[in-house]
Amino acid sequence: MTDDVDVVVVGAGLSGLAAARSLQRHGLRVKVFEALDRVGGRVDSATVADAHVDLGGTFVGPDHDRINSLADEVGVGRYLTHDAGDNLLLWRKDRKRYRGAVLPIGATSLLDLARIRSSLERMSRKIPVGRPWGAPDAAGLDAQTLGSWLTAKHAGQATKDLMAVVCKTSWGCEPSEISLLYVLHYIAQAGGLDPMLDTRGGAQEQHFVEGSHEIAVRVADGLGADTVRLGSPVLRIDWSDDAVTVHSDDGPTTARRVIVAVPPAMRRRIRFVPDLPAAHRRLSQRWSPGVLSKIYAVYEAPFWREQGLSGMTISDEGPVFITFDASPPDASRGVLLGFIGGDYAREWDSVDAAERRMRTLSVLADLFGERALKPRGYTDQRWGEEDWLGGGPTAAPGPGAVASLHARLAEPVGPIHWAGTETARRWAGFMDGAVTAGERAARETAIELTTTTPDEKARR
Amino acid sequence: MTWSRHHSQLTTATAPQLWERWTNAAYWQLDDPGVAWAQIDGPLTVGTTGVVKDHGTPAQKIEFTRVEHERAMDFVIRLPLATLTITHDMEPAGEGMRTTHGVVLDGPLHRLYAALLGGKLARQLPVVVRNVTAGALKR
Repeated sequence: MTDDVDVVVVGAGLSGLAAARSLQRHGLRVKVFEALDRVGGRVDSATVADAHVDLGGTFVGPDHDRINSLADEVGVGRYLTHDAGDNLLLWRKDRKRYRGAVLPIGATSLLDLARIRSSLERMSRKIPVGRPWGAPDAAGLDAQTLGSWLTAKHAGQATKDLMAVVCKTSWGCEPSEISLLYVLHYIAQAGGLDPMLDTRGGAQEQHFVEGSHEIAVRVADGLGADTVRLGSPVLRIDWSDDAVTVHSDDGPTTARRVIVAVPPAMRRRIRFVPDLPAAHRRLSQRWSPGVLSKIYAVYEAPFWREQGLSGMTISDEGPVFITFDASPPDASRGVLLGFIGGDYAREWDSVDAAERRMRTLSVLADLFGERALKPRGYTDQRWGEEDWLGGGPTAAPGPGAVASLHARLAEPVGPIHWAGTETARRWAGFMDGAVTAGERAARETAIELTTTTPDEKARR
Repeated sequence: MTWSRHHSQLTTATAPQLWERWTNAAYWQLDDPGVAWAQIDGPLTVGTTGVVKDHGTPAQKIEFTRVEHERAMDFVIRLPLATLTITHDMEPAGEGMRTTHGVVLDGPLHRLYAALLGGKLARQLPVVVRNVTAGALKR
């Protein structure tokens, strides 16, 4: 019997699309099934009052080589995140201006924050990138949450609150929820806290002129007609040593390999026959995503720039706790992007649309003045409410779920390979990790399908 | 001679919804993570008393000092050489209501209590206001 295709890819996010593109370049026949009625997964876009906005993954850093390269190839440009002017800190009911990375929280709190940051950096340097389970006392680190570690280190309240801001932004959760080992590995794979958190020189340095979603759209278009099947969730995969049958609304599709490029928790939505090994099943149970929502308020112009403000803010009040100026390069509109994560998001996601909007604008008015109450357009995106994604921006595994399970993230099971940003060795959780992981899964698969001898496989 | 912190939020909740949430002590433990239970002794008017029990502290007697129907409500807790007032205000704002909760310490030892309690009370205000408005909208 002839297989329908060589490889089926499950999920048309950036990772799945990068995998499919790479497989085609190896001369393999590919079919991509996507549960949603659009491509992109955790990247999406909207037009609000004539302004383009990224609803999901937005920023890229200077060393996000693979996503930047892919964007270049499909003709999507980049521009610097606006950071000219003063940043704002709404802290303990005071609204303070500051420049650079030194927050105006007082000398004692700054020293305490520096002490904790230094400890995290030092500990992260002992975590092997891509192999957190190989760290000294991995199980001991994994038995703690970031929150319990901060308490054990006698971190001050300001430090705890700022680390909660980091946690909400990076993983969409609270410090009390996430494995310390995961946090340390995340810092290690990003090359440190500065590259992970900074705008200039860091992972928030640039965003895409046409939007990150446009990259996914153009890559999908380039795969050719009928390669990507939208609105077709894969609910069952039958597998043997060298073949798979993937069941979707289209009926069964046979292939020699499958690349599952969905968030780890979404792997549970697929019934594997026979069952996956126990550790792989536990992984999908215990690597739940965080909850991070985004809002965009679009104004006639970036009026905060007239006040000498950059649009970047941090607040200890919520629900919006970080904002950026996401105006287009020509500033033809003023666009404020706000993040709502962790407990703030769980709370905010549950109220109706009118109340969400009013709460958001209320915060923006506290930060930027009454003009913020009257945007030309407004939208929000609640990733935790997305049925086939379950949250974002990435997985937020709790204690005990990393040392024992991280190794299973990308470990193939028979003809089943895994992609998705969480499976990346570097920049996992970012768009760059998604592309890298897709290309890695495609390479593994291509080696299996196009080489004949063990020597040749080893060479490739 | 006072120390105070306030937090305001715009909401789509109506004045009757907010008032119902403020004046029913059964909701206080739902809206304020620090409250274990609370009760109000009788119809709400200036001078009405009640009790608030916070987690980990003895129950405190409260007395209402301002009751303006669907507009404002304050009560006080008398501490040794200081008074803690919990304030609630609402006013129409644009398409919704602006609701403001506050904590005010006054008296000779207000600075001491501000240092001991103020930070925690102030940090809780945004959470309490969000819980109150979310709860009010369910009515």
